[in-house]
Amino acid sequence: MTKTLIIGLGNPILGDDGIGWAAADALKEKGVRGEIIRLSLGGLSLMEHISGYERVILIDAIQTGQHPIGTVRVFPLTDLRNPFSGHSASAHDTSLLTALDTGRRLDIPLPTNKNITIVAIEAENVYDFSEDLSPFIAAAVPVTVEKVLTLL
Amino acid sequence: MTQRITIDPITRLEGHGKIEIFLDDEGDVANTYFQIPELRGFERFCVGRPVEEMPLLTNRICGVCPEAHHMAAAKAADAAYQVDPPSAAKKLRELLYMAFYCTDHTTHFYALGGPDFVMGPDAPVAERNILGVIHKVGLDVGRQVIQMRKYGHEVIEIIGGRKVHPCTAIPGGLTKGITEEQRVEIEKKGRWAIDFAQFSLKLFADVVLNNPDYLELVIGDIYTHETYYMGMVDENNHINFYDGKIRVVDPNGEEYVKYEPHEYLDHIAEHVEPWTYLKFPYLKNIGWKGFVDGKDSGIYMTTPLSRLNASDGMATPLAQAEYEKFYETLGGKPVHQRLATHWARLIELLYAAEHWVELATDPEITSTDIHTVPTATPTEGIGIVEAPRGTLTHHYKTDENGVLTDVNLIVGTTNNYAPISMSIHKAASSLIKKGTVVTEGLLNMVEMAFRSYDPCFGCATHSLPGQMPMEVTIRDADGKKVQVLKQYC
Repeated sequence: MTKTLIIGLGNPILGDDGIGWAAADALKEKGVRGEIIRLSLGGLSLMEHISGYERVILIDAIQTGQHPIGTVRVFPLTDLRNPFSGHSASAHDTSLLTALDTGRRLDIPLPTNKNITIVAIEAENVYDFSEDLSPFIAAAVPVTVEKVLTLL
Repeated sequence: MTQRITIDPITRLEGHGKIEIFLDDEGDVANTYFQIPELRGFERFCVGRPVEEMPLLTNRICGVCPEAHHMAAAKAADAAYQVDPPSAAKKLRELLYMAFYCTDHTTHFYALGGPDFVMGPDAPVAERNILGVIHKVGLDVGRQVIQMRKYGHEVIEIIGGRKVHPCTAIPGGLTKGITEEQRVEIEKKGRWAIDFAQFSLKLFADVVLNNPDYLELVIGDIYTHETYYMGMVDENNHINFYDGKIRVVDPNGEEYVKYEPHEYLDHIAEHVEPWTYLKFPYLKNIGWKGFVDGKDSGIYMTTPLSRLNASDGMATPLAQAEYEKFYETLGGKPVHQRLATHWARLIELLYAAEHWVELATDPEITSTDIHTVPTATPTEGIGIVEAPRGTLTHHYKTDENGVLTDVNLIVGTTNNYAPISMSIHKAASSLIKKGTVVTEGLLNMVEMAFRSYDPCFGCATHSLPGQMPMEVTIRDADGKKVQVLKQYC
């Protein structure tokens, strides 16, 4: 059986940036089997956390400005046009793609980029500190959960 | 009519700022602005919460240095409760902090600062990253970097309860101590870290100091500013990251002031500019004189370089030897050349590793006396630590129930906002002249001006974009785009 890790990415006290964590919590409540973790990391640290897994699902807020707030999209990491969007990169080390390439070069066991699936929720308010999700984002939590379930 | 160049370390989500370079009619640099889209409302968000929550809450400000916020918050909460943690608790907190410093400084050097030198400032941006460094200096170096990070995170987890965002420091001490078995493990990792730090310093010497072009770049005028320097020191005026007094030296290296953390408001004030939300801290008793160098200007810096300048030495022998070599090579104290910060960072890495072992072999470190129960009514507390990116101040006021009524934070990089702005201005003015074609390499050299500070303005877990993806737009006098450069790596 494929070893899968589901990661809710984001900052739980930064408004809609908390959607990744909220979705991870909701998946846990649903009794989804498999490993579900919540992280606030990017770059090398994120790469280190996914070592040893064959498949990874990353749930994160995203701001493209091209989709209505609350839109949930699913795509492989290889389709992430701007590799710096979302939390996948860290301003203090490197992008997730470079981190993954670095890890593979060092023989760290990592999933292929194709096996890293992004579940991205278009968000708006990620600059104001708050523990609450705005209404459109809160409404996107069950949608996100359903989309993740179809991936399992 | 002026021309405008925008260096936009992008966008989303990034607490990161953008650089605007305005050219005059001649095509020379007229002005530069480093703007910060600040994350809003953290201090306000904390008001109304119990002060003992702050060590947990504030480490969510940042995914890069939560350990620094955890420690500053715990110290401020100690002060608010007027409780002095047992000596073993302070040592354990400091031990965790040394492991964090080793992890953080290593990552900065190998992933961010180092590539400019190992690959060269003009190297294609796709190669100027940690992968490029590994390609050039060998897989083994890459493995060691990952190993250092792993060891650091493991020690943070042993003492702090979690690999990232530690949770064991509370007012009066810690929630848990370490066993002898864990101590042995921590000591072993610390000894490995010392070897790694020495290796890193040798690599720096081989790659930078032995390369006349790079040495010239480091000591040249482009990246030089003469300001005040701040750092925390122990009773011997040696650098200390966790505790001590704040010492400030003037641009000649003379001690200007040394004060206790709770006196910070007597010495630090904040200047406001209309074009940015972030304030510019300065030395209150010297005054704000604009973005200018010199003894009459209250601008100060807090970085690894400033800590070396503000101290009389390092508290551990191997780091002290490197400290002496640093000043001998660069012509005495203080060193004003900002790119020397990369070297200073590695000297601090060595100190942190040595001190890690000192603490891990301290007979008291496995003591179970790690918490003093607070009994006083909490009032007000100030906690200061040296974060890797600069002096970090947490200041809390509470009501009689310990509920926060006021919170003030001055994070490491905020101290450096004025010096970073000056460094960008000088690098841009020196490199962009009338008729200059702004190349990727040249832009990177402007970027290097602020990379040495490793600015962390976003300061939220928000990990944001990677290697400062930049978009530079150069506009003619009519505002029409004439050149667009993008860097994605």
